Amino acid sequence: MAIRSFQARLLYLLVAILVLLEAGTVISVHLAGRQALNHALAEELHTGKRVLDWILETRARQLSESLRVLSLDFPFRELVASGDVPTITSVLANHGSRIGANAVVLVSLDGTVTADTLNGRMIGRPFPFASMLRLAEERGEALETVSFRGGPYQFVIRPVLAPQPIAWVCAGFEIDDRVLADVRQLTSVDVSIWSGTAGVAPQLRSTLPPQQRKDLIAHMTGPRGVGSDGTTLELGDTGYATLFEPLRTGDDSRVNTVLQRSIEEARRPFVTMELQIYALSALLLLAAFVAAVLFARTISRPLLTLAEGAGRIERGDYVTPVTVGREDEIGHLATAFNEMQSAIAAREHQITFQATHDALTGLPNRNRFLERVSLAVSAAKRGGPSLGMMMLDVDRFKDINDTLGHHFGDQLLIEIGRRLTQTAGPRDIVARLGGDEFAVMFFARDAKQALDEAARVESAFTAPYLLGDVVVEVDASAGIALFPTHAEDADTLMKRADIAMYDAKRNQGGVALYETGRDEHSVRRLSLMMELRQAIARDELELHYQPKIDVRSERAVHVEALVRWNHPQHGIMRPDEFIPLAEQSGRIGLITRWVIRKAIAQCAEWRERGLELTVAVNLSALDLFDSELPTFISGLLSDAALPPARLMLEITESAIMRDAAYAQRILADLKRRGICLAIDDFGTGYSSLAHLKRLPVDELKIDKSFVLNLSEKASDDLVIVRSTIELGHNMGLVVIAEGVETADSWQALKRLGCDMAQGYYMSKPLPAAELEEWVRESRWGGGRG
Amino acid sequence: MKDAVVYAILEGRPAAPARNRTAVMDQKNRTFIPHVLPVQTGTKVTFPNSDDIRHHVYSFSPAKPFQLPLYKGTPATPELFDRAGVVTLGCNIHDQMSAYIVIVDTPHFAKTPAGGKTTLSELAGGRYTVRVWYPDMREEPKAQSITVSEDGRASLTFVAGRGPAATHMHGHP
Repeated sequence: MAIRSFQARLLYLLVAILVLLEAGTVISVHLAGRQALNHALAEELHTGKRVLDWILETRARQLSESLRVLSLDFPFRELVASGDVPTITSVLANHGSRIGANAVVLVSLDGTVTADTLNGRMIGRPFPFASMLRLAEERGEALETVSFRGGPYQFVIRPVLAPQPIAWVCAGFEIDDRVLADVRQLTSVDVSIWSGTAGVAPQLRSTLPPQQRKDLIAHMTGPRGVGSDGTTLELGDTGYATLFEPLRTGDDSRVNTVLQRSIEEARRPFVTMELQIYALSALLLLAAFVAAVLFARTISRPLLTLAEGAGRIERGDYVTPVTVGREDEIGHLATAFNEMQSAIAAREHQITFQATHDALTGLPNRNRFLERVSLAVSAAKRGGPSLGMMMLDVDRFKDINDTLGHHFGDQLLIEIGRRLTQTAGPRDIVARLGGDEFAVMFFARDAKQALDEAARVESAFTAPYLLGDVVVEVDASAGIALFPTHAEDADTLMKRADIAMYDAKRNQGGVALYETGRDEHSVRRLSLMMELRQAIARDELELHYQPKIDVRSERAVHVEALVRWNHPQHGIMRPDEFIPLAEQSGRIGLITRWVIRKAIAQCAEWRERGLELTVAVNLSALDLFDSELPTFISGLLSDAALPPARLMLEITESAIMRDAAYAQRILADLKRRGICLAIDDFGTGYSSLAHLKRLPVDELKIDKSFVLNLSEKASDDLVIVRSTIELGHNMGLVVIAEGVETADSWQALKRLGCDMAQGYYMSKPLPAAELEEWVRESRWGGGRG
Repeated sequence: MKDAVVYAILEGRPAAPARNRTAVMDQKNRTFIPHVLPVQTGTKVTFPNSDDIRHHVYSFSPAKPFQLPLYKGTPATPELFDRAGVVTLGCNIHDQMSAYIVIVDTPHFAKTPAGGKTTLSELAGGRYTVRVWYPDMREEPKAQSITVSEDGRASLTFVAGRGPAATHMHGHP
């Protein structure tokens, strides 16, 4: 619409300009025409007047000359001198007709008419035009136009000389229609002569048609009379430009000339010209209008095309270019438009790619992957192939990252992505979900096929990774879930693959297929994670203590504080059920601090009552990153006035190995504060001897997996335990075995020279009060407490 | 004023017409000479033509209408002017020629020269009516009466009705 109105506006503007120009032309032509007409009319009237004057003048001269000849005729003079009136009258008539006079009058020198050609009507009367006589006396002749007998006459007076004037001879010539017709013919001007004497009705001689003549008379005799120059009179139904000129006034005789030009007639050529100009203007306007329309369209049409192009871009069509086929500004605009289109397309592609792909590896990201999985799931629901999904988490990636640097870690992730893509099938989709987590979607009918696929994918980790000069062995834990076997939608499928992966992780790597029902556990974990937040505040946590027995003296010298969660629904929960949750949810620090505080307080309380027991507390791997922890513990110890050595902190071997360098610093700090340290679960964490040697620990705790079935017959475990004890002793460490559940184990350990033992054989973990009782009453207690 | 004719008529005694008196009105160089010729009633005037072209002398004046059709030389007979009055002379073929013969019923007349003063002499004692005429006169100046003694003298002044003032001195007897 905007375009259309633009076109219309442009059109209106152009047309308005044209109309204005044309109107200006027409108006000026009209005005100029009118001015020219007025001018021409005035000119014609004045010309008519001049012609009339000239004709009358010429005529008068001729008449005067004729009369002169007459007046000088000797017999005529003789006759005049004779005073013979009848003869004189006949001579006047005779000579008058010779010169064509309408009236001849002989006037005595005293101004009295002595003879006339009008049957003597004037004889004895004064000559009516006395002023003419005076003029003739002065100049020898007089020529005047007068009103005579009601009509316009030219009168000539000459003296009759003998040789002095003896009389005046006057000749009158009527100004008849022929004279006026001459003027009319010469000038196209209508001439009227209006003459009258006082007391006599004036007469009109005119070239006008009868009707107009009548109207003119009405005007002349009307109340307003006739104005002077420049008047327009309506005569009949025609306008006449009128010039009113008195010819003579005086001697009671008035002669007026009225020169008139029919305006309509005079305008006829102008009208023709104006009509031609109007027609030409109209033609030009039409042509200009057509041109304007075409021009407006040449502008608006490509704009429309551009607008359509913009509409296409809006709908996401970045392919069809705008074509206007022009080289002008609009052509440039179209080119710029197309460039913009390409740029938008490229940018949108890039944005889409960035939104759906991982920046580092270029693999699809989680969103994209989920989208693809959803599509595959939908396809599968409609009868498409079943699919499987594998979640991969690179083992110990954090260690690699920390040890070799983030740049190296990034390169490794890129390489892993590349290998996964290579090993995956052509229809499979490899994605990086974030961090060190990858996922592969593949098509598989059943679990067997899925495991085959997994094996294929896992082969990406078979060969060591060579990045620059560094060679690293990388493993990954993988979890597999299948559709429709394990899930009914993409989300669930991913979640279950995730669960399977965590299972694999827990099982020290490899591949785990999702086990039906694990998900409920997972849900429980989630809610526990939520409830764990309030557990401390609700005082739902509780410490149980398991004694550690000095093997040589067979007496309990240490206790290990183990946290229990007295859950309102699930009952008493063991640490391995909720500590990983606490670690995942970031609550572990709070729990650790609660445990330490509680343990120190308990230890101090026992000590006050004479029960000397060193209390051991487990630290989580994450606690090793809490740099505030040493200070916190020192504070508690000094508050409780407890020797630091009364507190022992147990850290698992794998926790230490997660970030050995940092752990070493924290451990050194703790050690410096006099706190005892022990390595927990020793034998499962691949720690090297070199590592071990640098750690400032006091105790080695052999993992219970080696101890549970320890007997004289189980040679493998025996060898491990013995060598561990020897190792520990060689390094000056106290060696303790946990998981002692049978007398056999106890005996074996005793014989191997293990320093301390802990397990159900001696006592299960007990609440503080029960432990005190146990110390008092069991044979390991030694009657203390 | 030049060429004014002054004449005095003895009241109560009209003079007898002149006898055997003659005067001449010459025509020379297409001009009548003199322009004004005063004569007493009964005077005969000859019109000699001194030019070598012809003239046609005429008069339409009531005092003496006459014609001398085209002629050369001196006509055989003079014209008798026996009636008092003014005769305007013209030449029919030369319009510009004009002259006046003033015929008066008295022997006492004179024509003013340039300056307009003239004298009438040899007047018998008595009461005279003095009149004036001059060319182009519109209206005759009013006649004046004067008594002249034998040896006396008197003067009169006339004012011309038209043109410059005309003064006429009337001489002593």
